[in-house]
Amino acid sequence: MIEARGITRVFPGRGGLLRRDPVRALRGVDVTIPDRGAVSLIGESGCGKTTLGRILCGLEDFDGGELVIEGQPMTELRRRQRAPYFRRIQMIHQDPYSALNPTRTVEHILGDPLALRARQLGADGGWIRRRRSELLELVGLDPGLVLPRYPHMLSGGMRQRVVIARALTVDPAVLVADEAVSMIDVSLRLGILQLLRDLRDRLGVSLLFITHDVATARYTGPDSELYVIYRGSIVEHGPTATLIQAPVHPYTQCLLSAIPVLRGIEQPGSQRVAPTGPPDEQTAPPGCLFEPRCPFAAPDCRSHAPPLSHLGGTGQQHACLYPERRAVVAVPAAN
Amino acid sequence: MTRTTAGTTADTTAGAAGVRAAPAAVRVRDLTVAFPTAQGERAAVSHVSLDLAAGRITGLVGESGSGKSTLALSLLNAVPKPGQVTSGTVQIDGIGDVLALPAPELRRVRGAEIGYVFQASQNSLNPLKQAGKQLLDLGRSHGQRDLRGLLARARELLDGMGLDPVRVLSSYQHELSGGMRQRLGIVFALVLNAHVLILDEPTTALDMLSQAAVLQIIRQVHAGRHLTSLVISHDLGVIGELADRIAVMYAGRIVEEGPTGELLADPRHPYTRGLLAATPRITGDLELARPLPGRPPDLMTIPRRGCVFRDRCPIAQPRCAQTEPPRTELSSAELSSTEPPGTELPAAEPQRPGAELRGAAPPGASGGRQVACYAVTGEGP
Repeated sequence: MIEARGITRVFPGRGGLLRRDPVRALRGVDVTIPDRGAVSLIGESGCGKTTLGRILCGLEDFDGGELVIEGQPMTELRRRQRAPYFRRIQMIHQDPYSALNPTRTVEHILGDPLALRARQLGADGGWIRRRRSELLELVGLDPGLVLPRYPHMLSGGMRQRVVIARALTVDPAVLVADEAVSMIDVSLRLGILQLLRDLRDRLGVSLLFITHDVATARYTGPDSELYVIYRGSIVEHGPTATLIQAPVHPYTQCLLSAIPVLRGIEQPGSQRVAPTGPPDEQTAPPGCLFEPRCPFAAPDCRSHAPPLSHLGGTGQQHACLYPERRAVVAVPAAN
Repeated sequence: MTRTTAGTTADTTAGAAGVRAAPAAVRVRDLTVAFPTAQGERAAVSHVSLDLAAGRITGLVGESGSGKSTLALSLLNAVPKPGQVTSGTVQIDGIGDVLALPAPELRRVRGAEIGYVFQASQNSLNPLKQAGKQLLDLGRSHGQRDLRGLLARARELLDGMGLDPVRVLSSYQHELSGGMRQRLGIVFALVLNAHVLILDEPTTALDMLSQAAVLQIIRQVHAGRHLTSLVISHDLGVIGELADRIAVMYAGRIVEEGPTGELLADPRHPYTRGLLAATPRITGDLELARPLPGRPPDLMTIPRRGCVFRDRCPIAQPRCAQTEPPRTELSSAELSSTEPPGTELPAAEPQRPGAELRGAAPPGASGGRQVACYAVTGEGP
């Protein structure tokens, strides 16, 4: 289990000719990834979802808060002591075209990390070969066909499966998939999503799924949870299906309203809304950060932003002064 | 050709200048574009015929390598070398066959008549020049004398898209967000008063909110300026939301075509059905979703005989390997039968689209539904 408690991250600004203001990428974020669970982070580009994913993988430092991995707070450890914890959390990148070394065959791409693993476990070369084939079969590839190939000889979907197989070489507890299907052909996307879900069932790995496409988050499993991030803060959290059907935060409602509607088989939600302003970087606390773009903003939203709190007796949490359920998401077309 | 008229739609993007009286239709006939490969010439686009109905948005949906960008580029007669148009015509009202135009006329037509928003146009600006200067370069290279007028038209377009024209035109590429650059791409395509607009993957790499804003702008500009538009995307959602008619492209062929609502509610070609079932959606039964087996073909792996989809097709028959099924118009009787023969695909349950959808069908379009599949049309060798 991974628990992020009040994680903050500020990218420092700089002075001089190329002056840049500091960017508050994360403003005190709480996220829990349960064992065998699936958690999705959604939000616009620049909202901090990728930064959070990188912090959870140990690829990025955090400035405040605490990260607890399998019961161990990370701030208590030195960098080198953290490494074995972060090894259990593996990142799957967005771009399967640049994530694999083009000069090495799949045999080597998987063989190298497996050789390290074999040394740790005291296993022999036979184990490496067996494990290599096992992992490829697990991700739905034919070892005989794929092992001698270079990445450029594989389709995007096959490459992403190799990337996933490589992440599995270290027996991770958590896979972090950052926009893992956005560069894959549409007809193959669902296959990757089903694979990730399948790995949860078969290996018991948990999944952190980072995306801007809410629809894909539905496919991570029926028990999955969704966190909606706006400018470095969680604005709504709950079971994925609940948040899609009955969101209460206006920002979540804007995101869901923005999903294109397939005319003929879907019709737009009756209360579809859009943000009233362009993306904004200036608004600062104490008011609600979304207030300038919020279609339902009230005067007190400018001076007061509530913390994330439970919606009367449900598993749904929100950070809005005036939470209200709205039917924004598309529904199947009436016959 | 630059006759102007007051926009009938009271729309902010419908400037006084540059709005045409009547939109032009585009007719592509028997277009083949071939690329030389180690194994000889291979067609990226093979004998494609497609109408872009005047004043309508046609959506071209297909996966990477399906030939959709090559098809779109041939509308500009700009197929990248070593590709070559080996057959066909592209007739545009008021211009003639684009593929037969002499070079100077072609230069004028590109931009002045046909606007093209390139794939990843977010990244196609010169990073060292302010947007406004690039706009002036565009005007000069098209021999525009009235550069002030050009700037005024650009400002008007930007204003209609909810952007601050002064700020955007004095910005460098890196100072603009992806959504803003995409809008600027549309301004560049339209500022010379083009009346045919081609948008290649206009929202790829944009997040949901920017995508929704850009889709809204495309719709608004299309209506306000009386354009004939072609939108290309791999994303059925984008096409399903924007287009009046959809053409589904696979391995260089258009395998199914029809009015958006009807085609999505009752897809007939096994590829269209598979694609729809494989598209992650925000509604619908998760258990009915299934990936398409196999992988999209590339130039080297396109079958040279028979139906190009048969390797991935759940209803392939022996005759599918022999000859390529032609695109055939479905009769109303065929369309009203609930299931095409021999198909047991988990597609959306067939729904009869409402009257308003039928009403939305473009009057000038070639009419109904066309499918290239022997199992659906019941023909074949």
